[in-house]
Amino acid sequence: MSPTYDFLTDEYSPVRVRQRDDQYAHEVVTPIPYNGILVSKAIVDGGERKAGKYTEPQRARLYRMGVRRFFRLPPEIVTLGDCGAFNYINEEYPPYNVAEVVDFYEECGFDEGVSIDHVIFGYESDADEKQADPAWVKRRHISLDLAEDFLAELRKRRSRLIPVGAAQGWSPASYADSVNRLQQMGYRRIALGGMVPLKTAEILACLEEIEKIRAPETELHLLGITRVESMELFANFGVRSFDSTSAFRQAFMDDRNNYHTRDSMFTAVRVPQVDGNPALKRQILSGAVSQAEAVVAERECLRLLRGYDQGNVRIDDVLDALVNYERIVNTSKKRSYIDLYRRTLEETPWKSCSCALCQKHGIEIIIFRGSERNKRRGFHNLTILRSKMNDIDFA
Amino acid sequence: MADQYSLRIPALEVHQGKRRIYCFAIDGKKLHSFAAVSRVRRDKEERLQGYQRPEVLSHIRAIRRYLESDGAMMPNAIVLAFDSRVTFVGHGQTGSVDYAIPGELVIPVDESLPEEQKPAWLVDGQQRSAAIRDADLAEFPVAAVGFIADNVEEQRSQFILVNSTKPLPKGLIHELLPETTGHLPPAYVRRKLPAYLMTRLNIDGDGPFYGLVASPTAPDGYIKDNSLLKMLEHSLFEGALYQYRNPVDGSGDVERMLTHLKGFWGLVKEIFPDAWRKPPRHSRLTHGVGIQAMGFVMDALTDELPAEGVRCIRVRDALESLRPHVAWTEGTWRFGEDDEQKWNSLQNTPNDVRKLTTHLLRVIRTAETRG
Repeated sequence: MSPTYDFLTDEYSPVRVRQRDDQYAHEVVTPIPYNGILVSKAIVDGGERKAGKYTEPQRARLYRMGVRRFFRLPPEIVTLGDCGAFNYINEEYPPYNVAEVVDFYEECGFDEGVSIDHVIFGYESDADEKQADPAWVKRRHISLDLAEDFLAELRKRRSRLIPVGAAQGWSPASYADSVNRLQQMGYRRIALGGMVPLKTAEILACLEEIEKIRAPETELHLLGITRVESMELFANFGVRSFDSTSAFRQAFMDDRNNYHTRDSMFTAVRVPQVDGNPALKRQILSGAVSQAEAVVAERECLRLLRGYDQGNVRIDDVLDALVNYERIVNTSKKRSYIDLYRRTLEETPWKSCSCALCQKHGIEIIIFRGSERNKRRGFHNLTILRSKMNDIDFA
Repeated sequence: MADQYSLRIPALEVHQGKRRIYCFAIDGKKLHSFAAVSRVRRDKEERLQGYQRPEVLSHIRAIRRYLESDGAMMPNAIVLAFDSRVTFVGHGQTGSVDYAIPGELVIPVDESLPEEQKPAWLVDGQQRSAAIRDADLAEFPVAAVGFIADNVEEQRSQFILVNSTKPLPKGLIHELLPETTGHLPPAYVRRKLPAYLMTRLNIDGDGPFYGLVASPTAPDGYIKDNSLLKMLEHSLFEGALYQYRNPVDGSGDVERMLTHLKGFWGLVKEIFPDAWRKPPRHSRLTHGVGIQAMGFVMDALTDELPAEGVRCIRVRDALESLRPHVAWTEGTWRFGEDDEQKWNSLQNTPNDVRKLTTHLLRVIRTAETRG
């Protein structure tokens, strides 16, 4: 997030340098809401067809400074690299070779690195190798072969990187077999991949099966899984870490669960920017929506929301303004959020939140508008996730 | 009724052939009471109505910021098309010319009228007048020019005429920017420091870029201003020059930046004198791909160095180590075992810049670990 962003004028400083002048959650929220950071090669370098998420100069600086200095991480934060297998899920074979992946991990100075894997996008609990989709079988073998090459490459280079073996599967038995083989190769850290679409019961079934062969010192990582409510159970089966962006992304991707609290979820109040919303811009350009009317309605919503936060405006006046603006913006037949807004505004959850961002920004944090508010709300959600996890009893 | 009255405004009637135009000043805050914006749209019969695009809110905001700043001035006139309800009362010819007659423009104002029935249309100045409307100012008089239009088709042609001017060439802007004071649009604020550094590199007699950057006032330069600007921006935002930058206001210690740049690129010139002397057609070093890739090399080698320490043995040795592995002006680039490219096949594309950068940095790293 950009610390100099002006919420009243919705403007960045004209001299702002993205990322460099901006701040990460670990720089604005205490306690730091995560213990580690996972960075994917696909995000940094892009793939065969897709470009990465960074500009070339940013990418050059990441390689030059290493992941720890680039992200300005405090020493206690662990860094884990992976390939970002979801980015090449449709390819027949992973687009990277072992040497270039190890180059990536070493040049960026990661603490740990995941072997190259190929996601199996399916689950069939009873299928053995003969019954399962041949593509799945092939992908599991690709992942295991690459894990073996990965270890060999690290040994050859005398690398200090801690290797994490990626286990793929489509069933409890196939996952357990992958873990078993990775252990035999010498892996003590094993990441379970491809579990994002699985139901919690299915993940547990796999963990139970893995538990039968898991060496006591083997630690498991769940790639892309949060599920706080099941963490305690997962931990019983040797799960020591997980990575997820869902709490952050829900702030602006979820249809309604945008703002999290310890015991509930709230819908953020949508006040889109007249000049930032592509659908609305098209409506204005075509003459179907009056720009002047939209601007007035947008400003009115913001003015009343802020007034409400200060106790000078009645909730029904805010909701009337939101209804009016929603009517202008919502030209398609999307359903109304007004009832959800009423609950959010009645309960004012941001007022009882003690996180630094809610304290500082007040009602702005619950307004769904532009990336600066949305990211701050995402950071808030991460602090909530952290505090929920603090309650879990990891025996 | 209080919302119906006539504005009587001092004006000058100017004769242009058969046509008459009216020059006058008007408080921008009052403009919208009698002038409408004619938004383009299709009516129910698919006939074209109006002609204007929507307000560009970011543009308006930028103008508004400027208007609210000290000493703001808006010398260019807003253009209005009147209908026949607007009249001119001349005071008779005074002075020595017969084409300009002082008098008063009489504009009927009825604030209850819907937009499309107002007596004037804004032909040019939509964004400016919106900025005045929104600005936190009591009044802001502006110059205006009006004409009586026969019909909307004529308004449209005037609208196209005033809006079809060519934007200034980028090179001229880059040359003008550094020597500009006062308020600038945000995109130019960002460009100002890199443009200043570029100008200084081009005109300072003691640096390797002296006279080499092509600009309107340096037509013999052969290094493209855009290549150099990109390199400077990359380094300012992500690289070695960032250390001299003040993130609060975007300014920086320009003299040390220049020392840093002249230190590094001076070595480049000394080590590759032949490639440095040739234009991009004959040398990939002075080409966009070379300038940018070597910029990344500069960032990698000198990120941690103070400006005065850039000209040092370590950097010189690193550049020396490149010598057997570059093909700036002839031969082939050997990027990998089965990846060879003719010297001049490299283009100024992100892919080729990355490829060349990776190659150069790998050579330097290998040499450093051996040495």
